[in-house]
Amino acid sequence: MKITGYDHTNRGVGIRNLQLILPSVVCSTRVSSRIATEVSKQYPAVTFAHQHGCGIIGNDVGGITEYFASLAKHPNIGSVLIVGLGCETIQGNELAEKLLKENSSTKYLVIQESGGVQGTVDGGVGAAKELNVTYPPKQAELRDLHIGIDLSNANLVAAELVTQLGALGIKTTVSSSHKNSGLNFSELMEAGVHLIVSFPDENQPASGFPLIPTLNISSNSPLHLALAADFDLAGNATVAQIIELIEAVGNGVKTKVEAMGAGEIIAPRVVRSV
Amino acid sequence: MSNELTGFPRKDGRWGFRNQVLLLPLHSALSSVARKIADASNGAVAVSHDWSGEHDGDYDRIFKTISGFAANPNSFATIFLTLNTPHELEIIKAAQKIGVNNTEIINLAELGSMDKLFEVALPIANDLVVQAKKVARVPAPWSALHLGLECGGSDALSGITANPALGVASDRLVELGAVSVLGETTEILGAEHLLAARAITPEVGRQIVEAVARYERSINYEGIDMRGAQPSRGNIEGGLTTLEEKSLGAAKKAGNAQFTGVLDYADAAPKPGLYFMDTPGHDTEQLTGFAASGINIVVFTSGRGTPTGSAVMPTIKVATNTPMAESVPDFIDLNAGTIADGTETLEEVGGRIFDEILAVANGQLTKAEKGLHHEFSLSRMYNTVIS
Repeated sequence: MKITGYDHTNRGVGIRNLQLILPSVVCSTRVSSRIATEVSKQYPAVTFAHQHGCGIIGNDVGGITEYFASLAKHPNIGSVLIVGLGCETIQGNELAEKLLKENSSTKYLVIQESGGVQGTVDGGVGAAKELNVTYPPKQAELRDLHIGIDLSNANLVAAELVTQLGALGIKTTVSSSHKNSGLNFSELMEAGVHLIVSFPDENQPASGFPLIPTLNISSNSPLHLALAADFDLAGNATVAQIIELIEAVGNGVKTKVEAMGAGEIIAPRVVRSV
Repeated sequence: MSNELTGFPRKDGRWGFRNQVLLLPLHSALSSVARKIADASNGAVAVSHDWSGEHDGDYDRIFKTISGFAANPNSFATIFLTLNTPHELEIIKAAQKIGVNNTEIINLAELGSMDKLFEVALPIANDLVVQAKKVARVPAPWSALHLGLECGGSDALSGITANPALGVASDRLVELGAVSVLGETTEILGAEHLLAARAITPEVGRQIVEAVARYERSINYEGIDMRGAQPSRGNIEGGLTTLEEKSLGAAKKAGNAQFTGVLDYADAAPKPGLYFMDTPGHDTEQLTGFAASGINIVVFTSGRGTPTGSAVMPTIKVATNTPMAESVPDFIDLNAGTIADGTETLEEVGGRIFDEILAVANGQLTKAEKGLHHEFSLSRMYNTVIS
């Protein structure tokens, strides 16, 4: 079984070719969104809202920095523009310098040093377009994929899926630490998975992660049955159907949440904010 | 300029100075669609957050934050996007108890898909925006005004220019009968004894000191040194040396008035006067807590400059120094650096801030509003990873 990948050099071969506009602090999320909206008219770019990057202490400083670094190093990402405010706890320039050592397709902009909002949006759009390296599609095997399983709702199909993917030589990482898919997605992202198969808790809707195509498999709970249209497969789906869909997504077919442009980041925090 | 304050009276007795149509997701998975509807609409606003219904140690705080935010008097209407879980329905009820001018509830579970929700919600939002624009302002008493005092990205001039000038404006408003609220427990650490001495009763003074002590205990409990976050690296680059120095400057925002009371995070001020609210120093967590408490206008002083704002509260940015005000003109509304330049007095800049508050309350848009800065953060006292 073949899939279409993009050889993102040191980031690895991804199944999406996305430019990440990464706000290093909540204060730069709006500017990042404006840059992403503009460049998305020409090529696929992604950003997200979050509330992190400042007012953090202790292990969260290193933890959130590492989390952002994992996003920037993800195989589905072709290039990264980090947008910082300037005075935040997580210093984007240090993060960028560290990331640049591994991937030259990395740039950094500071709002406080770029003439304000419009200056940063204009500068950011220019920088992002310069960064947008062309990566020709590269054929790869299904077994080259690393698949994440969000096991918020443990079930037999999921267990069988892990077994069968293993038999096909496909690397899987299972996250069942939380009932909250969003936190499991973050763990899976940090593990570098290309694609997530999510079995959300019976009382949670379908959801996704911005850089990682996420397939949502329904349970037979009342909420999931009511929201059947948001799920990629119903609760009675077979493992063969799931694998067939994984192959399609590996060839560029969008998952339901991906097509809706949905996907939130829930970054793990270990300490209260200050 | 007219000295008359005008606004929109709400049925619950509070006043709004804006007529926002707010799309409020009650689950993190509804954040994306909320933003999408706002972007496609003719002026509705949306916030995003990362709460997915967890019923953990932070539940009460999150409950209070989201329900209070939903009930901010600057909203003409709040459109709740919900999965109709019992917790979400409780939040809507709590918001309505505080006062929601117009409530719309859009239930994803009933509509069956995000696409359908988008289709249904967009015309509702657009219609409410049209209705909101038709409402005329009427003269408002000064007690209608609930001012939030915030500083972020402080520098060595904060305590000399913008903060004491804001203190002048705050004192005038308190004297006229408005509410003024100082936040940021982190940033009165080291200055709490000075604020406590201005408390209206010894009990209020004790509460101010206790808020700081409680804060210090919770940080010490974590076994970590808060330096690294406070003063932040940006503060240090801006010339601040210690947290105490930062605090002495930050406290100047509250002028010289007496403190009427101490508010817990997101709690409303019960009557006119100057208050201290126990909030984090994190700018958007503080702004979100202010909005949840019913504050309807904010003045935000900054040494380094920040574009952030709120979906429901106009947020006036005051620069502490002229070079910054000139280098990032599209997010600074007013420059207090003239005090350090020697071209204006503290009283003069305080007067300009007062006039700006009045003009903005009466409808003049702030830079953050024009830039559609609607940042939102949930403040948590516990971690998110160990459930």
